[in-house]
Amino acid sequence: MSEEPKTPRSRLEPEPVSRRDVLGLMSLWAAASAMFFALVGMLRLPKAAVLSSPSKRFRVSLPQTLAAGEAFTPVGRNVAVYRDEQGVYAISRVCTHLGCIVKPTAEGFECPCHGSRYDRDGVVTKGPAPRPLEWLAVKEQGGALYVDEGASVAAGTKVKV
Amino acid sequence: MSKNKYLLLISSLGVLLLLVAAAVQENFLREWRRVQASGRNEEGSIAVQLRQIVNPGLKTSDRCVSCHVTMAPGESTVTGSKLLTAHKPVVHDPSEWGCTVCHAGQGQATDRADAHGDVHFWPDPMIEPRFSQAGCGSCHAPLGVPEEERLSLARNTFARLDCYACHKVDGRGGMIRPDGGGMEGPDLSRVGINNYDRDWYAKHLQQHQQATQGPWRNSFAAVNDQDRALLADYLATTMAAPKLIEAKAVFNSTGCLGCHKVSGVGGDEGMDLTREGEKDPGQINFAHLAGGHTVENWMAEHFRSPVSIVVGSQMPSLGLSDREVDLLTMYMRSLRRKDLPASFTPKDRVRAVRFGEREFAGDGATLFGTFCTGCHGGNGVGRRSPGMPSFPAIASPDLLGRVSDDFLTENITKGRPGRRMPAWGELTGGLKPEEIGKIVAYLRELGVPYQPDSKPARWIKADPEQGKKLFASICSGCHGAQGQGIEGPALSNKVLLATATDSYFVQTIGQGRRGTAMLGFLEPHPARPTLSQAEIESIVAFLRTWERGKK
Amino acid sequence: MSVGTEEKIEQRGSALHEFWQNLKSTPKSFLDTAFRGGAPKTDRTRSTFVFGNVFFHLHSVRTHRWSLRWTTTWGLGIATFAAFLITLITGVLLMFYYKPSPDVAYQSIKDIHFVVPTGRFMRNIHRWAGNVMVITVLLHMARAFYTAAYRKPRQFNWLMGMALLVVTLGLSFTGYLLPWDQLAYWAITIGANIAASPQEITNALGITQHFDPGGMQRLILLGSDTVGPEALIRFYLLHVMILPLVLALIVAVHFWRVRKDGGLARPADADRRLGPAKGTYPIFTEQPKKTYQLAAIVRGRTPAVGNGPEGTVPSMPHLFYGELAVLMLTVLICVALALIANAPLKELANPGVPENPAKAPWYFLGLQELVSFSAFMGGIGIPTIVLLGLGLIPYLDRETAGTGEWFGGPGGKKLAWRSVWFGLISVLAIESFVIRFGWLREWFPHIPQLVITAINPGTLLTLAYGAYSVWCVKKYNSTRAGAMALFTCFLCGFVVLTVIGTYFRGPNWVFYWSPADWPGH
Repeated sequence: MSEEPKTPRSRLEPEPVSRRDVLGLMSLWAAASAMFFALVGMLRLPKAAVLSSPSKRFRVSLPQTLAAGEAFTPVGRNVAVYRDEQGVYAISRVCTHLGCIVKPTAEGFECPCHGSRYDRDGVVTKGPAPRPLEWLAVKEQGGALYVDEGASVAAGTKVKV
Repeated sequence: MSKNKYLLLISSLGVLLLLVAAAVQENFLREWRRVQASGRNEEGSIAVQLRQIVNPGLKTSDRCVSCHVTMAPGESTVTGSKLLTAHKPVVHDPSEWGCTVCHAGQGQATDRADAHGDVHFWPDPMIEPRFSQAGCGSCHAPLGVPEEERLSLARNTFARLDCYACHKVDGRGGMIRPDGGGMEGPDLSRVGINNYDRDWYAKHLQQHQQATQGPWRNSFAAVNDQDRALLADYLATTMAAPKLIEAKAVFNSTGCLGCHKVSGVGGDEGMDLTREGEKDPGQINFAHLAGGHTVENWMAEHFRSPVSIVVGSQMPSLGLSDREVDLLTMYMRSLRRKDLPASFTPKDRVRAVRFGEREFAGDGATLFGTFCTGCHGGNGVGRRSPGMPSFPAIASPDLLGRVSDDFLTENITKGRPGRRMPAWGELTGGLKPEEIGKIVAYLRELGVPYQPDSKPARWIKADPEQGKKLFASICSGCHGAQGQGIEGPALSNKVLLATATDSYFVQTIGQGRRGTAMLGFLEPHPARPTLSQAEIESIVAFLRTWERGKK
Repeated sequence: MSVGTEEKIEQRGSALHEFWQNLKSTPKSFLDTAFRGGAPKTDRTRSTFVFGNVFFHLHSVRTHRWSLRWTTTWGLGIATFAAFLITLITGVLLMFYYKPSPDVAYQSIKDIHFVVPTGRFMRNIHRWAGNVMVITVLLHMARAFYTAAYRKPRQFNWLMGMALLVVTLGLSFTGYLLPWDQLAYWAITIGANIAASPQEITNALGITQHFDPGGMQRLILLGSDTVGPEALIRFYLLHVMILPLVLALIVAVHFWRVRKDGGLARPADADRRLGPAKGTYPIFTEQPKKTYQLAAIVRGRTPAVGNGPEGTVPSMPHLFYGELAVLMLTVLICVALALIANAPLKELANPGVPENPAKAPWYFLGLQELVSFSAFMGGIGIPTIVLLGLGLIPYLDRETAGTGEWFGGPGGKKLAWRSVWFGLISVLAIESFVIRFGWLREWFPHIPQLVITAINPGTLLTLAYGAYSVWCVKKYNSTRAGAMALFTCFLCGFVVLTVIGTYFRGPNWVFYWSPADWPGH
């Protein structure tokens, strides 16, 4: 505020601007950054840290009588589990087109929504599905089998039990 | 204006600082982050994130696995901090069932104290790890548990007959078949829950007798009926929680049901214990408790001396050993009732709640231990507790020799109105007639058979007026002026007067009852007058006047 | 190639050039259009900054220096509004996770507390900002009263302020139930029964079966006869929808009237008292030569004609720095409280096990103390009298002396102090008497309830305050003096009763010197 006028000036004239208002700028920037930081914190809230759905990884106990190539579908899980000579493997039953639940058949899988068809290894044979069905990670631990709906593996991965 | 600018600057910087502090606290300093950072599995370090086990059926979402990562599905190979020790193998896989259903605590919490429930306003803190089998009680109700002695006898019988050679129970015993085709005999750890017919074991043994060769034939010798009953009792209790069964056996030897109800069975005098294991520490008065303010400690100290923890408690001090106190505390903690959807309710709970099946074994010793020992003492020796009238020693030969089975049955069935002995045959949650019969039979085992004299039930024809004076001067000190009972038993009791014979009174007054304050009045005694036979008869005649409604 | 085509190409070239130039300057022109009038560097652009912005134009372009003094307002109105904004924002965030159903409400709060990112912090801020708002709105009201700012032309705005006080308390109270814990459940049970307290009168008259306004109020509030799912959804709707909308509406009117009623109240000789301005450059010092155009159609005094030097400064930046500072200070206080203390959360609501003592939210504990004497008088009667009295003040006090000054008017600060003493001594005396000796019911167990309703410590206290106030009107020959006496007395009574209810009442509403003396269960 160096240019303090000696006599009051008309309010109609433009006020000469004080060139440096370090304090004002600092305080405004501090306020703005505090608000920005608060905003970042608030934006983190809507993304949940844990979901209310059950864990993606779950234990399956395959029936002794399960024949090779026969699908075992655990209750409440959109997965088909198979056992053959090479081992156990799990294929996701979620259609890669728009997420409908496909039905295991003798030939492979059928999607009821838009008519996609997959063969027994989950490869698309017909319809709009862009990708083969996902193969899911199977893990043997402490004598129990775990399937992880959240982790896909390369098609054809089978776990020897 | 610059004052405002300074204020703005300072507040803004303050806000910024606090926000940073809050962000650091939340994103870096949480305990579970440190625990997970130490975790390693086959692929290296594990992702640091909030973890949980959600069980929609039980309506639980247990975040315990944010620290105890190894309990989560498929994470059992993670190693690192001590908290990452894997759960020992149990029937209910924690990765499916979650933690709080058995261990209690606050599953939703992610801080140590909150999660373990050691905080204000969490009503269900974690069950102390040494009592963790109490958690089975959240859903299960062990049925048909015998009293302590019989249980250990039954367990020993199982061992003595070498059943462990083929069968595995609670991780002990069992044998692999030479051809590798599995176990020789099935694992019997949970056979109690399956509720096999007791005859099943008889058939099992028959199979053995009919077999001509092979392990069936060679593995064991014939089992006699007594041993078989013990085996059946033992196997009925197996549910993979041997410690809890032991605890319940102690409960069934301590006579708690004499005053307390569990699941609708038991006396009315004390608190209903059905959900005692869910006792809210926030509702407990810890004022008189030395030591830790935990539910378990409160219970343990309460068992040691009820009246010094709960002022005015009518519960007698039971003189329990440390082991018994521990086991009873564990059993109390197991008295829990998780609200379960029908599909989760186990068979034993259904049998107990829906079919009214007994949680104690049906033999006389167990029934006596479950209902009577609390007041009448182990083996019926009576109990004296400071500040309370003494409880009669009902196994005293001086009593049992003078009364018939009918007398005992009638007195148990109808109780002693006005005194602490309830009418067990009429009480809601009381005893069934056949159970009372078993108890009477057991009392006879403890004591002596009835030695009746030849006289009819009522033979005294003396003058009650003389008896009245004698009673007032000699008897009323202990039995009360109206015979209502003070230190001694109540004599104006309708049930007593209706069932007792004149001979019973005469003998008891004349010869006394050993082990109690009642000494025989025929014998000379320095401290009090001696009575003649005629005087005794007049007193009995006076007692009889109460029977006719003259108070 | 003809010349024409060349020209065309040239023209197209220049259009492209223009396009390019326009594209380059788009950010700048966007800013110019967004912020009309450009950077607030001169007196004129500063004015545009204010009236050219939808959020700022509620302010006048220039603000009187008197209004900018901290001691004029202590920023309490802005602080209240800031606290409202904070609760609004954090409240919306909490709604992402909160589930208004008794089965899951408590669990969802636990989730917010334990696993929602920043959830615990946001809930704490929400809770503390709500409390800050209640405190500042009360203080703001006291400020307006003690500076006699309710006088003409601000009478109506005083009423709006009272409405805001009521809505604020309503917001806080309805939010209390939402966690569905023991604290919430029993506080609301008591609150709902206070709503039903007219039954005390109707019961005494024996007409409850035919005419039951109390029961009706309670039924409408709870939607059932006990606090249950219906009550929760009603309170939720009130808390997140109805009351915030009502509050926003009244706030708009309140602010607008502040502006239309001529800004903040100030003494007639404020300019002289402030003295010549030092340092701050553009002070409105000219003798105006003509009235403003609007003056022809707006009634009332024109702002400047004939008044000489005004002593106003541009609102931008003088006022805005102040407002922003108060806003950030409020945020600071709320954030600091949120870090120091978690918002309370007790056990899951259990209709079978009442809290003992079951206490209403703290700002209702003064009422709860009165309710312990007579439900109707404490819950409905006396609050109604107080609200009526407050509402009447600006219409009864039409004096002019002392407007805009702290404790202005006859009597001044001395009267205020005297009233503090009177207020404190009366309330303490009557409380000690009741705590020591009990009341009519203890002495005459068969006394009709109507007598107690009429004669109880609450009504006696009200009477004493009223009588004292009338005495002040006579002594100072001033309505303002009476109002000041009454307001001060009630403020003291409120504070003392609230403190007693909060700190000195234990199980069964028995007086204890300290919670350490409470009996165990």
